[in-house]
Amino acid sequence: MAVRDLLDRACIAGVGATPQGQWPEYSADDLAIWAFREALKDSGLRKAAIDGVFVQPSFGGQGDLKTLGHRLGMEPRVAANVDFHGQALQFATLLVHQGLCNYVACMYATNQRTNRNRFASTAYHLGGNFDDVYGLSNPGSVAAFNYRRRMHDFGATEEQLGAIAVAQARAASLNPLAVYRSPLTIEDYLNARYVIAPLRLMDFCMISDGGFCVIVTTPERARDLPKTPVFISGLGSQACFLELEHPDAMYHPPQRPNASMLWENCDYAPEDIEALYVQDAYTPNVLAALENYGFCEFGTAHEWVQGGRIELGGELPVNVHGGQNRMTYMLGWQNTHDAVLQLRHEAMEPARQLPDPEVIMATYSTGLWQETWSYIFRR
Amino acid sequence: MAEYAKPLPVVNDLNRPHWEGARDGRFMVQRCLGCGHLALPPMPNCSGCLETSMEWVASSGRGVVFSWIEYHQGWLPGYRDETPYNVAIVELEEGLRVVSNLVGLPHDQIAIGMPVEVWFDEVTPQVTIPRFRPRV
Repeated sequence: MAVRDLLDRACIAGVGATPQGQWPEYSADDLAIWAFREALKDSGLRKAAIDGVFVQPSFGGQGDLKTLGHRLGMEPRVAANVDFHGQALQFATLLVHQGLCNYVACMYATNQRTNRNRFASTAYHLGGNFDDVYGLSNPGSVAAFNYRRRMHDFGATEEQLGAIAVAQARAASLNPLAVYRSPLTIEDYLNARYVIAPLRLMDFCMISDGGFCVIVTTPERARDLPKTPVFISGLGSQACFLELEHPDAMYHPPQRPNASMLWENCDYAPEDIEALYVQDAYTPNVLAALENYGFCEFGTAHEWVQGGRIELGGELPVNVHGGQNRMTYMLGWQNTHDAVLQLRHEAMEPARQLPDPEVIMATYSTGLWQETWSYIFRR
Repeated sequence: MAEYAKPLPVVNDLNRPHWEGARDGRFMVQRCLGCGHLALPPMPNCSGCLETSMEWVASSGRGVVFSWIEYHQGWLPGYRDETPYNVAIVELEEGLRVVSNLVGLPHDQIAIGMPVEVWFDEVTPQVTIPRFRPRV
């Protein structure tokens, strides 16, 4: 079997989302159930039809099959905790393609804003407390080291980076699901405080509560369901645990081999992509994705994103849901959700609906840039 | 002198040679006896060949600034009160990249590629932390 054999063999039959933001009256498990119910409604499926369940536990322990399982009241053939959304989608694709499952529900929920998760953990997974000794305590450091290096290597400026936050704020202002919908100018961006220079406040993801669910099935089964299926028409994945030992440690090492796997095994090229979603725990992630997946030349993305190119109506709209600084911080789950809405012409607000999109790409990567996934979604 | 309020090394059997070396004025790194791969922080096995036989060797302590950042918000005790402070990745002459702090120059003079050398910061009578300063 080859990667190509997986193309168009799985599709998304339904998506569900809770409102995002701060929901102190709901636990992560409550939010997961909520999102799951929404996805069932969207797909037209009954709970009993779901024979595969993937759950991504939230930081802090809830939303885990150990606690969530008995509340689901199900007897799925496959049930597992996974670490990332990209992984859940990959496993679900394989399961339905191979016939091990018919309908796989993938879900993630968290109430980390209510729980005041701080993420003041190590930046690199250094043994002992070598990170702490030197004051390296925030995972955003990796993107900050990257952008400083980009400034040196390619003459990037701090103002150029701000184009991403500004574009995403404009998109978020149109998204009813976005937590922060106020506009942001480049002056606002530059006037905001540094958190870890050269990165400022608007370069960092927020912390938010919420839940998402995606239901994956085969095209044959999706045909009998009410919603237009969204096909998985390309996929790539790659991990890299070399951290600082990798020669390209500053430029998201696993993304380039991931891109090769994606493009060599699908019928699309970067110029076919009508919108891109990037898991942007930190804004420099957008630049890395644009270069590594071949949307622009290596070392030029900070220039490429200027002038509205990545905004709605631009050459390649990026994160038209508003990104993790403005929409919600849901570890990439919001990317698949919004891509599906866009492809089904259900973007909620006419102003944010992409004009009749057919092919959208989404990428997922961890804040420390160790694991990556990429998908082409097609209507 | 004010008490050192920042995190101190948690010394264990695996990393003890590094911190004891620092007290003796040597920047010790771990080397795999199987393939010569260097590591710091030390690991229970070589991440190159997975061998578990390792030795400790003194690095030249010389290198260049590979990248650096400036924390304007502090999360850790001691550091919290000293923002903005820098954290740097130093690429040693031996090729290994290590995380540290740069001392002895204002931040606006820090540059990627700048030659630096280890400087042993005696933060308490018992503990010395290697940091890096400009090399002339």
